[in-house]
Amino acid sequence: MGTQRVMHYFARYKILALLLAIAAIWVFFFFLTQGAFLTPRNLSNLLRQMSITGLLACGMVFVIIAGEIDLSVGSLLGLVGGVAAILDFSYHLPIVLTVLVTMVLGVLLGLFNGYLSTYQRIPSFIVGLGGMLAYRGVLLGITAGSTIAPVSDSLVYLGQGYLPPLAGDLLAALLFIGLTMLTVRQRQDRARYQLAQVPRWQDVVKVIALGLALLGFLTTLNAYGGIPVPVLLLLAIMGIFTYIANQTVFGRRVYAVGSNMEATRLSGINVNRVKLAIFGLMGLMCAFGGLVNTARLAAGSPSAGTMGELDAIAACFIGGTSMRGGSGTVFGAVIGALVMASLDNGMSMLDVDAFWQMIVKGSILVLAVWIDVISGSKR
Amino acid sequence: MSDYILEMTGIGKSFSGIKALDGIDLRVAPGECVGLCGENGAGKSTLMKVLSGVYPHGSWDGKILWQGQELKAGSVRDTERAGIVIIHQELMLVPQLSVAENIFMGRELTRPGGRMNYAAMYRRAEALLAELNIEGINVAQPVMNYGGGHQQLIEIAKALNKDAKLLLLDEPSSSLTASEISTLLKIVRDLKKKGVACVYISHKLDEVEAVCDTITVIRDGHHVATQPMKALSTERIISMMVGREIKNLFPREPHAIGDVIFEARHVTCYDVVNPERKRVDDISFSLRRGEILGVAGLVGAGRTELMQAVFGAYPGEYSAEILVEGQVVKIRNPVDAISAGIGMVPEDRKRHGIVPQLGVGQNMTLAVLPGFAHLGRIDAAAELNTIHTAMARLSVKAASPALSIASLSGGNQQKAVLTKMLLPDPKILILDEPTRGVDVGAKYEIYKLIFELVQRGISIIMVSSELPEILGISDRVLVIGEGQLRGDFVNQDLSQEQILAAAIKQPTPSPRAA
Repeated sequence: MGTQRVMHYFARYKILALLLAIAAIWVFFFFLTQGAFLTPRNLSNLLRQMSITGLLACGMVFVIIAGEIDLSVGSLLGLVGGVAAILDFSYHLPIVLTVLVTMVLGVLLGLFNGYLSTYQRIPSFIVGLGGMLAYRGVLLGITAGSTIAPVSDSLVYLGQGYLPPLAGDLLAALLFIGLTMLTVRQRQDRARYQLAQVPRWQDVVKVIALGLALLGFLTTLNAYGGIPVPVLLLLAIMGIFTYIANQTVFGRRVYAVGSNMEATRLSGINVNRVKLAIFGLMGLMCAFGGLVNTARLAAGSPSAGTMGELDAIAACFIGGTSMRGGSGTVFGAVIGALVMASLDNGMSMLDVDAFWQMIVKGSILVLAVWIDVISGSKR
Repeated sequence: MSDYILEMTGIGKSFSGIKALDGIDLRVAPGECVGLCGENGAGKSTLMKVLSGVYPHGSWDGKILWQGQELKAGSVRDTERAGIVIIHQELMLVPQLSVAENIFMGRELTRPGGRMNYAAMYRRAEALLAELNIEGINVAQPVMNYGGGHQQLIEIAKALNKDAKLLLLDEPSSSLTASEISTLLKIVRDLKKKGVACVYISHKLDEVEAVCDTITVIRDGHHVATQPMKALSTERIISMMVGREIKNLFPREPHAIGDVIFEARHVTCYDVVNPERKRVDDISFSLRRGEILGVAGLVGAGRTELMQAVFGAYPGEYSAEILVEGQVVKIRNPVDAISAGIGMVPEDRKRHGIVPQLGVGQNMTLAVLPGFAHLGRIDAAAELNTIHTAMARLSVKAASPALSIASLSGGNQQKAVLTKMLLPDPKILILDEPTRGVDVGAKYEIYKLIFELVQRGISIIMVSSELPEILGISDRVLVIGEGQLRGDFVNQDLSQEQILAAAIKQPTPSPRAA
């Protein structure tokens, strides 16, 4: 009975289990690297590394919740990143314009994927597979197969820059105040409608824990230059997407479409339009990912984003997204990306052979889904 | 050695601390048919899962004696080997495979080298069907070429091919027409003569009465009574099931009928697979304000297709002209239909009604979400308020609106789906088999709701395969047969026979309009 209770608990508090897994991975690497893994410098790098996969995972989690899949995102990321590099290097476009054009291009290509798999009813798996090849081909064509470098400093800032510590402190303080107020308002709302309340101490503990986590996060990153720009971008996107998923009409429809598309259609919801928007968002995430990637490398590379789709999909599944659609969280997907990045980073520090890294990452993915399946199905 | 082939005593089963079954006894003698009655959620399905080995031995309390020996099944395979075969409510056939392949599923006859011995399987399958007096089935044809009624009989043949000594029939008639049901009942009676025992679960008490020797009633997981059918009446069984007397199953209430509010003209639907074939052939009808229009007909007559076309949800090609309050409205999809004031509660609740991973409450508000939104953000408190009001009004029994809808009983799921279609404030509400798989108590509440709605001036179209329901509720009855309108009757002194006769009569040749 003991193991069953633990399983049940895991199924209910998936996120908690994931955080525990992260802690275990970090402690493991901490000892093997004699502490080098948990230095501010390495953690800052680690978070920066995860940001691209994290951004893709934020978009992908909606795609998977809606019961679809998009295999083209790695190539798409490479393509829009390459276009950004060309605009910057060859045409010397101002950074604002480069970013805007890249974002529009990402959204349009995402919508094109979505249009094919919804209105034209080509399975998204096939559309993605085709796009994976075709977008990569276009990228190779426009770059003539060579790296485009160097890009301007302002673009590089997007990938390698840091937010000044003071600005970071201010943001964190605002965030903390915001979250505290949200908790208080939620309590008031529930009281107004006479709904069941969690005990006050639980909310207090939650807010304090959140504050401590925020403080730890900030002091660690401030000890090494401040919050990296791509990490800030990821956190912002994670916040916005979580809001979309939980609070908006669109978010509710994403879950409904993935859970039972026919019933949702018969409820008077334009299912195709919902899916189209999801693919559009996915394209936007590819644009952000591409920009960050180009900026981080300070170059547009024809091989950028290779296998990025697999990392993103793996992150979603590790983060507890259901393969059959209908359930999953943005936060979980980001944590999944953190798991993948931690493994990459830790093993690289230990000079583990590349082949071992692949074996370990693949096994972790299968293991994570296995735990999810056995803890979910047994009652 | 006792007289019983099966003796279940003191069966109990808990799910995370909540008792679903508590001290249930069930005894079946060879050649006997026991009717297991109870409302949805009473524990019938759970009991059948215990018996058929879905819940392995050790995960429940009590004792099962099978042919005098204790049965300790670890899986469905074990019980099937012992001769206990369950036929589920949803058919478990593979539509693309042939009838014979389905009958021999998992025990295929093979030639050396593993090749399928089709000749032998076809022969055995034909013999089996002949033994059951099932006619009109070609065993080499794919199962999907046959209707629900034939498929149900194929399921029974499949079960008997496993040397079943005890058949568990879980709502076997829920998708059958009246004539198919009588064939089914006849076959069950034949089986009894051959010494095969049956447990028959059905909400349709007339069937239970027609075929069962003994009735066991359970309620809320407890054993209520086991009595010979002869000593019982339908009313008595119902009152034991619900624990109270239901005087009148159809709570008719007076309501005013106004002018024509809705018209459907020349609705024609073409088959999805074979566009040459018309599923609905030029049907026109109208509906008045506050009227309950019953739509009767055999299963597969085209009633559901007609309703789907009216609601803009028919999957194939179709044409129709729809008028709401005298105005022609263009209905291309359910979005158009709902904004034109038409709502539809679909026939297949599981596939088309519920969104299983959302909570009960979120299912209810799915069609009206933008109404709670400010700049795309849902006002959660306002939504919850609406949900609570609706749950109270329709007495949806769920501990919390956040509870998954899939965990509720059929009746409560149906009420939630109904709420979903009521919240957009429709003028016309289409109910396709609104009481299918719903227990007696919830049925009564749904009928009461229907009358409450017409009193408020909403017009109802109710498709139903249960003629007593059609006669008990409707103001007017449309009869559909083979895609055509076969009758439009005012429900006065109308009899089941009249409706049935209209449904199966040959179409009268009519002069073709130019």
